[in-house]
Amino acid sequence: MSVYVTVGSTGFDELVKAVCARPFLQCLATRGFRQLCVQYGSSEDAFTPLQTGPGAFGIAVEGFDYTSSPQRFIEKADLVICHAGTGSILEALHSRKPTIVVVNRGLMDNHQDEIAQELAERGYVVKTEVGGLAGAVTGGAYNRLMPYPNADPQPIGEILDEETLY
Amino acid sequence: MIILLAIVGAVALALRLYVVLPIFSRRQQSTLDARKRRGKAVRSATQKILCIVLGSGGHTAEMVRLLSGVDFDRYSRRLYVVGDTDVISLDQIGMLESRRDGEKEEYFVGRVPRSRRVGQSWLTTPISVLQCFGQVVQLMYQHMPDAVLCNGPGNCVVVCVVATIARVLGIKRIPIIYVESFARVNTLSLSGKIVYLLADRFIVQWPDILQHYPRAEHVPNLV
Repeated sequence: MSVYVTVGSTGFDELVKAVCARPFLQCLATRGFRQLCVQYGSSEDAFTPLQTGPGAFGIAVEGFDYTSSPQRFIEKADLVICHAGTGSILEALHSRKPTIVVVNRGLMDNHQDEIAQELAERGYVVKTEVGGLAGAVTGGAYNRLMPYPNADPQPIGEILDEETLY
Repeated sequence: MIILLAIVGAVALALRLYVVLPIFSRRQQSTLDARKRRGKAVRSATQKILCIVLGSGGHTAEMVRLLSGVDFDRYSRRLYVVGDTDVISLDQIGMLESRRDGEKEEYFVGRVPRSRRVGQSWLTTPISVLQCFGQVVQLMYQHMPDAVLCNGPGNCVVVCVVATIARVLGIKRIPIIYVESFARVNTLSLSGKIVYLLADRFIVQWPDILQHYPRAEHVPNLV
């Protein structure tokens, strides 16, 4: 089983650091995960993977900075852990993969918190902060989420058509 | 005498704004239900030029999803307005436009200085806004789009202001369709608050925002 961690087009040092650390890897191992893939964005310095082996609880860790087709990586994962950016959340929701959203307390604007909270209340994702991430994985609530409804962007085309009739 | 002229001018401008700005129009907003009853909107045969504003990360990701609901055969020419440092959006436009196979792709990418970088000081913001404004005026004049579709990056405010000026001056009526970000559950973004005053159609994806912004339309599950 594998986990995909994604921070989107910016960076999120604390999250990247936390998922590379031993306590988190141990958590993953107890839930049966064997692979960890980290899209770390601009947080390259925070990405310090341990060598695969007993020290890393047998988990193979790999990472890269950015991809323009995140679906490829999400498809392969059994659990998605993402920052609360819209792009990453939408990719995760529509993949129907279990998703843990990690809110970045360091951001000035709290609208990322807003969307994560709303989706968590509706049971589509698990919401946490970096400090609670290990607990959220151990708790396993991500296995009892609701599937997100399919998107329908058709009304936008219709609204455009109405406005450009003349 | 000058004072009199100024007063007459101000009254004339106020009247003009009252007549052309969508916020003063009493036209019944059609709702999603009304659209469903009436079926698809009747389409005119002519092809249109659509101006699409892209911005950083999340905004662009949402716009790409929204555009899959837009018929590119009808909006046969697209003008993408993109921040000059935004490589990710360029990538996305490439992928979006290459999905259309066969016909020759007709689109143009206009790169403009960002009106405000994330974290930029509010003191230097007016200067970068002016630079952006000049570029946008040029682009809009060159391409004369039939509609603007945007969803909240800072640059879209500038594009909407330019489109509104064109309308007030009687150059062209360019309808503005604004879709507030999926991330906005209870409040509007700063761009949203400004464009709310200018947009012909203002779409929000969560219902709670309607309480404070009655001209907005709620359309869920767009992205």
